[in-house]
Amino acid sequence: MNTTCSPSTCTPATSGVTESLRKPLYNINGNAEAYEIRVELPGVPKSNVKLDLEENILTVRGERSSTVPEGMKALHRELSPLSYLLRLRLNAPVSEDQMTAKLEDGVLTLRLPLKEVAKPRQIPVL
Amino acid sequence: MKIIRTHPFSINRVSGLDEWFRHPLAGLPSLSSFINNLGEVLPGVTGDKLAVDVNEDKDSYFVTFEVPGVKKEDVKIELNNGLLTVSAEKREKDGEKESSYSLTRSVSVPDGVNAEGIAAKLEDGILTVTLPKQERSKPRTIALS
Repeated sequence: MNTTCSPSTCTPATSGVTESLRKPLYNINGNAEAYEIRVELPGVPKSNVKLDLEENILTVRGERSSTVPEGMKALHRELSPLSYLLRLRLNAPVSEDQMTAKLEDGVLTLRLPLKEVAKPRQIPVL
Repeated sequence: MKIIRTHPFSINRVSGLDEWFRHPLAGLPSLSSFINNLGEVLPGVTGDKLAVDVNEDKDSYFVTFEVPGVKKEDVKIELNNGLLTVSAEKREKDGEKESSYSLTRSVSVPDGVNAEGIAAKLEDGILTVTLPKQERSKPRTIALS
């Protein structure tokens, strides 16, 4: 299950959004126990990250603080000031109450433990 | 043999044309593009390029880089002959495997910067280098004696 995004598991946000947002860079790893998702959210303070799991859709929103603070003149611009939105469809049930999220150095790390029913089982041969 | 990744004219994430429409003048007084293109030819300045913003207010210049996932101790900032070079080593853990790659960018610093006062801050994956401007000598009137 160590995979990058395939169309069946991940759905980018396309509808119902009017403001300009961009999809952050992200990476998904998984094993028999949990999904681990890393999302790059540079410029987003902890208080501006919103996580939401509804049905099997995980939504990550990161509001970026402005890159040109008040009273400053931009001389050269390459960084995008747009905020981030990532929407992923999970293809296995996860234990919501055991989800953990950590934001460190502009990278959000999510751990979504799989529900028992989704874990692989060994069936003994009698 | 050394493999050098090159990116002719860095177009980082944002389409270059879009950027041009929004800021058609941004490329003209470019502090960095010449130096950066040079950097791709020179050995020792390899690695992917960091995107950069340069802002100023009346007291300082602010050079901003996006370095998500980079730790403070993995950032190197150098000022040499009026050229500010930032290198960031990015380490990624993927299970047991750990990989790292480096990102570099050089920006030529305008005249009149107080080199002693340069400071840097890393917060939420954004590195900001502050370059204070030197006190300009104020116009004076000289009284005739």
